[in-house]
Amino acid sequence: MTSHEARLCGLLLREHFGEVVEKVGTHLLRSGAQHLRAIVHESGIPLDLVKKSLCVLVQHGLCSFSSGRKGPGSPMEYQTSPDRILRILRYPRYIYTTKTLYGDTGELIVEELLQRGHMTMSNTVKTVADRLTQNMEENHSMEYSEVSSSFSKLVETHFLQRCPPSALTAKKENPSPADSGAPAAAASIVPLKPESFSDCYTVPRVTLVGRGKRPLPAEDEGEQRSAKRAKLDSEVHGDEGIYWQVNVERFHLYFRDQAIISAVANKLDQTCSEIVRTMLRMSELTTSPSATCTKPLSANEIFRSLPTGYNIGRPILDQYLTLLVDDPMEFVGKAGESGGGMFVVNLHKSLANLARATIESSVQERFGSRSARIFRLLLRKRHLEQKQVEDFAMIPAKEAKDMLYTLLSQNLVQLQEIPKTADYAPSRTFYLYTVNQLPTARMLLQNCYKTVANLIDRRMFETKESKRLLEKSQRIEAILASLQASGAEPEQLTEVEEMITPSEKQQLESLKIHINKLDLAENQVDETIFLLESYISSTAVSS
Amino acid sequence: MMASRGRGRRSFNVDSVGLSRESLPSALLQPSPVFPVMEMKPLPLTGGEEVEYLLALKQDLRGTMRNLPYYIQSAVTHSDVERYSDKYHISETCDLLDWNTDWRRFPRELRRSFRKPVRIGVSDGATLQHKKDRDKEEVLLKLENLEKNEKEQSSEEEEGGGAQEEQEEEPEEELEEETDYIMSYFDNGEDFEGESDDNMDEAVY
Repeated sequence: MTSHEARLCGLLLREHFGEVVEKVGTHLLRSGAQHLRAIVHESGIPLDLVKKSLCVLVQHGLCSFSSGRKGPGSPMEYQTSPDRILRILRYPRYIYTTKTLYGDTGELIVEELLQRGHMTMSNTVKTVADRLTQNMEENHSMEYSEVSSSFSKLVETHFLQRCPPSALTAKKENPSPADSGAPAAAASIVPLKPESFSDCYTVPRVTLVGRGKRPLPAEDEGEQRSAKRAKLDSEVHGDEGIYWQVNVERFHLYFRDQAIISAVANKLDQTCSEIVRTMLRMSELTTSPSATCTKPLSANEIFRSLPTGYNIGRPILDQYLTLLVDDPMEFVGKAGESGGGMFVVNLHKSLANLARATIESSVQERFGSRSARIFRLLLRKRHLEQKQVEDFAMIPAKEAKDMLYTLLSQNLVQLQEIPKTADYAPSRTFYLYTVNQLPTARMLLQNCYKTVANLIDRRMFETKESKRLLEKSQRIEAILASLQASGAEPEQLTEVEEMITPSEKQQLESLKIHINKLDLAENQVDETIFLLESYISSTAVSS
Repeated sequence: MMASRGRGRRSFNVDSVGLSRESLPSALLQPSPVFPVMEMKPLPLTGGEEVEYLLALKQDLRGTMRNLPYYIQSAVTHSDVERYSDKYHISETCDLLDWNTDWRRFPRELRRSFRKPVRIGVSDGATLQHKKDRDKEEVLLKLENLEKNEKEQSSEEEEGGGAQEEQEEEPEEELEEETDYIMSYFDNGEDFEGESDDNMDEAVY
């Protein structure tokens, strides 16, 4: 874990859970696995706040606990990892993806689960039905069964998964027979991975009949009735103890597929991208997440599974497939001749190519197209001397030297010395320039983390600067809303609106523009982060 | 070897390498600027409907997570002016009791903190009271010696009353000094904007 990652994790925790959780979280990140007393002692935060923060972190799956290193009797140790915390940046993308795939219902289900960490199915269904009912017209409400069916669909396609049974409850269910007097913590507690649980994706039988409820208009009655309703709602629905969480890995696979498809569409053709989309869809559930390429599919199968809108002839499909295989980006490879040709989608190669394109484009935007030409040259030709760089890139010697040295100082290009003699005399060694894709990708990824952290910092700074103004405008909006609800005359409304002076309005406008820009930039950088992270993790798996 | 002997030395001999003294870059006398001028300006951000929707989702998410019980506020200290109503502020940080999660999934040591929330309020009230009494005593001693005994007597009575309350564990409203006012009297309007959650259309920054 690097300092940039730690800083970004701290900022994300602060924004979403408050400063106390940030302090506890960053302390855990920096110090590894620790037990409760050590955390309290080293971080100086009061015990009850530490406990609350740990509860929040565990609830959201950001922190895991296991029995200590000294054996089963030692206190519980807590640890976090930066990967899961960095996912918080991507939550809007997950929600939007679910919206495109499963509509508003799916969107709200995923949003609720992301906000609350893990929940039971019945709870989720009820909350989502209530929210949907709020936005519908009068006398319409959302059936629980519709929401349940959306939920089941999400589980079938593995976007949601069951939380692994807490090691604590599992231990209680299997008491060791021979310990009546032995201490309770006989077995060590180890966090389970969700996949190791066989019922990971089975939807339980839940008895949920009803419709969403609207919030009641009158406040006093509402409070009394909601107090009563809370008691009624604690009825048992048959799925107690079964908690669901969002399966972020599955979303990542989906994003990766989308990236490959859009790359094919940009490079080749819409029809080619449809073919690749079909191939990926067919192998969705048969490909493991860390596979290098999909299972081989025969051209016949692909032909049968093409979407009905695309009625291209069989020979045309063969031509397209040949085109895809011959493309230097190697999205699709040929794995055999049976069944009219067996084809695979090269997942890892595609990710490597996408990462390479990202790095090349970032060099181009920072240093100019000629430096980018040199960079691409070095990527292709691996090792080149300075003279060769000048010749191949067709750039005058002085400028080429300058650009190479700039790239070298930014660590995008490395120098490899090959001595001709035992003493490294400068006149008698070869100096070769080289680019290594993987370390460069790692470096760029760290830059991205630093960028996002800076963006968040700046946004918080801007908000803090104009805090007074923002509070004033919020108060005025609240007053306006309450006046409108109680039916006031237009003069009163204009009077209240005029409480904000025009210059303040302008300040607010420009503040809003700045904050939107910073937020948009964060989202965009997160896309790059995703590509680079996927590439780096794919190389880690295969090596 | 010769390369790292002390500061200000170069690792090579200028003449033998074949360079002239002027062609070398000048020495740095100060740190490089924090915001250097960029020759290549970055591209503008991508726009479009999808991007705008993602932006709205992000800002909404931030806003709603602020209001969930998982957002833990650190203790707010009013450092500018000590207000009378500070004594009567009910702390809002015990919202975690509203969680209806399965406490069996959490380790036992984390569960214990939510059994007795009133304890915290009790000790705060008692210590505050003692401290205020002591301050009061000092001030009055300095001002008027004649009334010293009277004040001591009254503060003793209050301390006795405070100790009693500590043992009884009454609900918070009557815990910290008996007053004739209900707790909302001491609400100084700072939480007003927290009630304006009706406007969910407005993005929260």
